[in-house]
Amino acid sequence: MATLSPSPVFTNPLDRKNEATISHMTSFVKAEKAASERDGPRNDGERWFSWINIHEVERFSLREFFDGSSVTRSPRIYKEYRDFIISKYREDPSRKLTFTEVRKSLVGDISVLLKVFTFLEKWGLINFNVTDNNEKLSDDGGVRTASSGRHEEEENWGVGESGFKWPPLASYLDVYGELMQQEKKKGLVCGSCKDGCDSAHYEYTKSITNKDDMSPVEESFILCEKCFKSGNYVEDKLADDFKLKESVNQAAVWTEAETSLLLESVLKHGDDWDLVAKNVQTKNKLECIAKLIQLPFGDLMLGLAIERAEDPSPELQDKDQQNGDAENEGSPRKKVCTGPTSDVGSSLMKEVARISTMLGPHVTASAAEAAVTSLCYENQCSREIFDDDGNYVDSIPSPETSNQMRAADADHAVEDVRPNQSEIQETSSSVKNIIPLNLRTRAATATALGAAAANAKLLADQEEREIAHLVASMIEVQLKKLRRKMKYFEDLELIMEKEYTQLEELEESLVAQRMNALEMVFTADITKSKEHNTLMKYQTDTVQ
Amino acid sequence: MFLMYRPTADNLVPIRLDIEIDGQRFRDAFTWNPSDPDSEVVVFAKRTVKDLKLPPAFVTQIAQSIQTQLTDFRSYEGQDMYTGEKVVPIKLDLRVNHTLIKDQFLWDLNNFESDPEEFAKSFCKDMGIEDLEVGPAIAIAIREQLYEIAVQNVTSARESRINKKGRRGFDHIQASKTGGNAVDLFKLFGNKSSVVRKRKEWDVYEPIVDLLSNEEVDALEAKEERNNR
Repeated sequence: MATLSPSPVFTNPLDRKNEATISHMTSFVKAEKAASERDGPRNDGERWFSWINIHEVERFSLREFFDGSSVTRSPRIYKEYRDFIISKYREDPSRKLTFTEVRKSLVGDISVLLKVFTFLEKWGLINFNVTDNNEKLSDDGGVRTASSGRHEEEENWGVGESGFKWPPLASYLDVYGELMQQEKKKGLVCGSCKDGCDSAHYEYTKSITNKDDMSPVEESFILCEKCFKSGNYVEDKLADDFKLKESVNQAAVWTEAETSLLLESVLKHGDDWDLVAKNVQTKNKLECIAKLIQLPFGDLMLGLAIERAEDPSPELQDKDQQNGDAENEGSPRKKVCTGPTSDVGSSLMKEVARISTMLGPHVTASAAEAAVTSLCYENQCSREIFDDDGNYVDSIPSPETSNQMRAADADHAVEDVRPNQSEIQETSSSVKNIIPLNLRTRAATATALGAAAANAKLLADQEEREIAHLVASMIEVQLKKLRRKMKYFEDLELIMEKEYTQLEELEESLVAQRMNALEMVFTADITKSKEHNTLMKYQTDTVQ
Repeated sequence: MFLMYRPTADNLVPIRLDIEIDGQRFRDAFTWNPSDPDSEVVVFAKRTVKDLKLPPAFVTQIAQSIQTQLTDFRSYEGQDMYTGEKVVPIKLDLRVNHTLIKDQFLWDLNNFESDPEEFAKSFCKDMGIEDLEVGPAIAIAIREQLYEIAVQNVTSARESRINKKGRRGFDHIQASKTGGNAVDLFKLFGNKSSVVRKRKEWDVYEPIVDLLSNEEVDALEAKEERNNR
C-alpha cells in the first residue's frame, strides 16, 4: 500500500516543482491514491488546519468566538460550525458550496455564520477546487444606499483560479472515483448483463455485410466472462465468434520501445515531466511517472538525470537491459527488484567475485559450470557460443550472447549494448571474443546464485551438525537428571521401608500390651464376681 | 451607553416611501445613513424626481416623508438598548417584481458587525437571482424588522424600568408582534445541544425562491390592491 512520505505538505505548485525529486513525485502519485487517508485540506489553510484543534489563525480572525462575549459564540460552537461546513463541502468537492446551502443546517446568528463561511472559503478550506461561474453576477446585486455610496469591495477569493487545479479532496469521489473512471475509460460494459467487465471479457467481432451498400461493417460486441460461460450470447451470435480478451488497461501496457523512449527522455529532460510525456507521446505525464517509479532503478535514473550526467550510456544500457530481462521473465521479478542497484553489470561481477573468494575456486567453478549448462539448456544458440568459446574460467564464466534473443526483444537495444562492452571486458579479462552483456550478466547471476547456494549449503550443513551436537548434549543432560531422580526415589523407598518395619514393630508391641491389659481385666473381673456372689449369698442368708 | 439602533455594522435607517399624488403613485424603499446632513434629503428628493420624471409636487412629499422617518428614528437615539443576549428569528416573505422570496434565519441583535447588505448579496448570488432589485429589497426587509424590534425593545425597556426595578439580567422582554420571540439561547447554544440543526428542520430554514410569470404577478398585484382598499 501507499506509504506516505513525511513531506506531503503541498504548499504551492512552484515550491513543489523546485524540489521535485523522484521521491516527491512518488509521494505525489501516492498521495493522490492515499488522499482518503489524509485529513488536511490542500491549500493555504492546510498549513495550520487540524480537525482536532483550533489554530491561532482561527482565534485571531474570528475573535468573537473566543472572547467569551456571548453564549451564542464559543469555541465549541465555532468548531461545530467549522467542522460541519468543511464536511459538507467534502461530500462533493467538485461543486461550489454556497452559504445559503449551509446556513439552513446551522443554528446561529446569520452574520456570524457568514463570517465563518467566508473565513473558511478565504483560507481554501472549502471551495478551493471550484472555478466560480457565478462570480460575474454578484457585484451589481450589491445594495444601493441612497445617501452614502458604499464601496463594496468584492474580495477575490479565487483560489481555484490560480491556474493550478488541485486534485479533489478526500471524499467518496476519491475512494471510488478511480473505479468509476476506470470503468468509463475502458467503457467495457457487458452487452448482456450491463455490468462492467473488469477481469476478462469476450469480444464479438464479426464482419457483417451492410445490407444497404454492401460494405463490410465491423460489429463489435462485448460479453463478460460470466455471461459468456452461462451462454447468454444475445440474439443470433455464436460462441465461436467471440474472442477472449484479457482486458488489460491499455494505458498500463508499456512496450519496450516506449520504455526506452521514456528512459531516454528522462535522461534528456530530467524531471520535467511535461517534456518527457511529450517525448514519449503515447503516454501521459502520470503514466510516465508511474512507470519510472515502477522500474527497479527509477530513483537512480532520475537522480542521474538531474545531475545531467554526461555519459549516460552505461547506466541507461544496464537499465534497459535489466528491464528487458525483467520483461522476459514476467512481472513478478519486476516487483522484487526495488533496491537501487547501481551499475548492475559490474557490481554483479564484483559480488560474484566476492562470493567466489569466500568459497574457494572449486565451488565457484562448479557453480559456474552448472550455470552455463543450464543456460545452454535454456537456449540453443548460447550453447553454440559457449562451445566455441570452450573455456569457462574458474572464477567467472564467460557469459555469452544470444543476439537473436536480444534482437527479438528489441533491435535497437542491441546496438546500444556495444558501447559499454569494452568497459565490462576489463573486469573479466579472460573473455576473448565480444560477449553481449545480457548473457554475461545472466551467466554471472546464475553463478552467483549457484555459489551462494553452495555457501548456503555449507552453512546449512554446519548448522545441522551444530544442532545435532546440541541435541545430543541436551539428551545427555536429561538422562543425568533422570538418573539422579531414580536414585533419590530409591533412597526414599529405603527410608519408607525402614519406617514400615518400625511401624510394624510398634503395632506388635501395642497388640501385646492390649492382650496384657485384657488379661488383667479378665482376672480382675473374676475376682469381682466371686466377691459379688458371696455377697449375694450373704444377703439371701440374712433374708431367710 | 449604546447608540440607538445599531445592531449592524452600518448604522442605516430603512426608509420606505409610498406617495400618491393625483393618481400617480410612487413607492420605493432604501436605506439612509442618519449621520449624513439633513440637507441631503432635499437634494436626494429632487434628484429622484428628476430621474424618474415625476411631477415636481413629489419633491416635497418625498423629502418630508424621509425627514419624518429620520426624525422618528433619531427619537430613539441615546436610549439604553442593551437587553442582554438576544437572537431573533427574521422571516422574509416578499415579492420583488417577479421574484418571490420566503426565508427564515436567526439574527443576533447584539452582533454589531452584522451586515444585512452583505447577507442579501450572498443570498442573491447563492440563489442565482439576477434581478438587481432583490438584494436591496432583502436588506431593507431585514433592517425594517431589526428596527421594529429595536423600537419595541426601547419601549418595553421603559415599561419594565417603571414596573420593576429589581430583576435584571436575562429578562426576556415582551414578545414583539413582528419579530417574534427571541430564541432561547441556552436551549440552542447550551453545552448539551449541537448547533447543527436537526435534518427535519432544514426545510424550515431553507430559503424558497420562486420566479413568477407575468400573469401571476398581475394577479398578485390586483389582490394587493384590493387588500389595500
